[in-house]
Amino acid sequence: MTRLIADTWWLTLRALRETIRQPVFEITNIFIPMFFFAVTVGAIGNVAGRAFGVENYTAFQMPVAILQAAAGAAGASGLGMTTDIERGYFDKLLLTPTPRLSLVLGRLAADGIRVTVLTAAIVLVGIIAGSGMESGPLGIVVLLFMSGLFGLTYACIGVAIALKTGSAQAAQTGFLLFFPLLFLSPAFAPKEIFAGWLEFLATINPVTYVLEGMRGLVLDGWDAGSLAAAFGAIAGLGAFTGGLVALALRSRTA
Amino acid sequence: MLTTLLRPTAGTARVAGLDVARQAAQVRHAIGVALQEAGLDDLQTGRELLTLQARLYGVQPRDLAARVQQLLRVVDLEDAADRAIKTYSGGMQRRLDLAAALVHRPKVVFLDEPTTGLDPISREAIWRYVRELNQNEGVTFFLTTQYLEEADRLADDVAIMDAGCIVAQGSPAALKASIGNDRVTVALDGSDAELDRAAAVIRRLEGVGDTRTVADTLIVYVPDGAAAVARIVLMLNEAGMRAREVSVAQPTLDDVFLRATGHHLEEDHAVPQPVGGRKP
Repeated sequence: MTRLIADTWWLTLRALRETIRQPVFEITNIFIPMFFFAVTVGAIGNVAGRAFGVENYTAFQMPVAILQAAAGAAGASGLGMTTDIERGYFDKLLLTPTPRLSLVLGRLAADGIRVTVLTAAIVLVGIIAGSGMESGPLGIVVLLFMSGLFGLTYACIGVAIALKTGSAQAAQTGFLLFFPLLFLSPAFAPKEIFAGWLEFLATINPVTYVLEGMRGLVLDGWDAGSLAAAFGAIAGLGAFTGGLVALALRSRTA
Repeated sequence: MLTTLLRPTAGTARVAGLDVARQAAQVRHAIGVALQEAGLDDLQTGRELLTLQARLYGVQPRDLAARVQQLLRVVDLEDAADRAIKTYSGGMQRRLDLAAALVHRPKVVFLDEPTTGLDPISREAIWRYVRELNQNEGVTFFLTTQYLEEADRLADDVAIMDAGCIVAQGSPAALKASIGNDRVTVALDGSDAELDRAAAVIRRLEGVGDTRTVADTLIVYVPDGAAAVARIVLMLNEAGMRAREVSVAQPTLDDVFLRATGHHLEEDHAVPQPVGGRKP
């Protein structure tokens, strides 16, 4: 167990070093959601109150930007893994007596940290832009934690595809999967105004609950119900994607 | 399979006295591996890569820095240690890969074609490290190579493989002695039929053990090469043929390989794999 934790830690540091040395990826990961954030608020912000009763649309949109950044950053994780596999470095790591699980946990933990840092940047910009934070400083901490956890579970998809296929292109589809999930959630308007079929899809979409949990912290303050639903959705998603990683890891290692 | 990357489907194998299927974790502690393509991470520096490798092998933290420094010195990478690996040349990457295979002082090191694609200077350097580590630290090397000269220079024990089976095994000296004869190479201009006719003529010479045709040359094995050359030229002239070039050489592992497998390594890269071992 100490072996698992220690080796995971060293591999996390290595994955973070990789991130710091290729800053251009993180710039893309932060630029795209910021761009959409600004454009959406600019386009709809003034009418959102009259149209569907959302007075502070900046606050309403900030969690969307956070989730987009989280999924983008997490999607890149599979890419790092395929690079290791293609370069033969993953075999080199497999040849060491390190627990196999550390090899994926190290990368996933680094993703959680990356996503947390990106989220902090978005929250800062959001607050400057006037989103406010109803739940206060502790709410920011919970928001960062939730976002990091979501990024970690989401990264599992890319990592599982990478382990299974070893293909960079395939691993990137992990990020593409996120778009339907995001658009089938109340990303742009509250789901109460959705058409029936869309409202149904949004209700069964786990991203909806993560989004609403984050929104609650920003807009409404503390609400145990929505936080529990958000963490529950992340746990459910994590159980599924974590399972995929475990299966893929078994197929990759002897 | 011997390095635990693949699980055997049947049978058993032992490395350093350990079963590769049932004691995979212990085997990983006992061996070091440098695969044909240096498996490295471009974004780390040489020192970072070796340090991480040492940590994952459980090298004690207090010995870590010294061990890494020592290995960098062994493979002459001290100056480049703090540069990103992507700036290393092919030869430097192989050397670093070799160092990474050694961090935990393994008893057995597997080298898969360690010098393929390297320039002669880098190749010579790798050979030197292998020899030094073998002599000074008692490391056993298990190396696969397409270069028979490499096997001859490094190995105490050579096994020649063809289509997955060992077809000859022994020390380089013993294998070469098993040929028993000098090698005379006769280059001829002419058709295959002409070469066959020349071979038939030469076989009449007393003491000729074996002849082989490779492209436009005949290879003839005789006990006393120097004495046979004049006779061979004469016999060919009498039969109305003219040799373009004739040379005599001591037998090499190439000849052993040729006899054992029936083909030249250069002609057929796909199948044969000489395997060399260097014991402490």
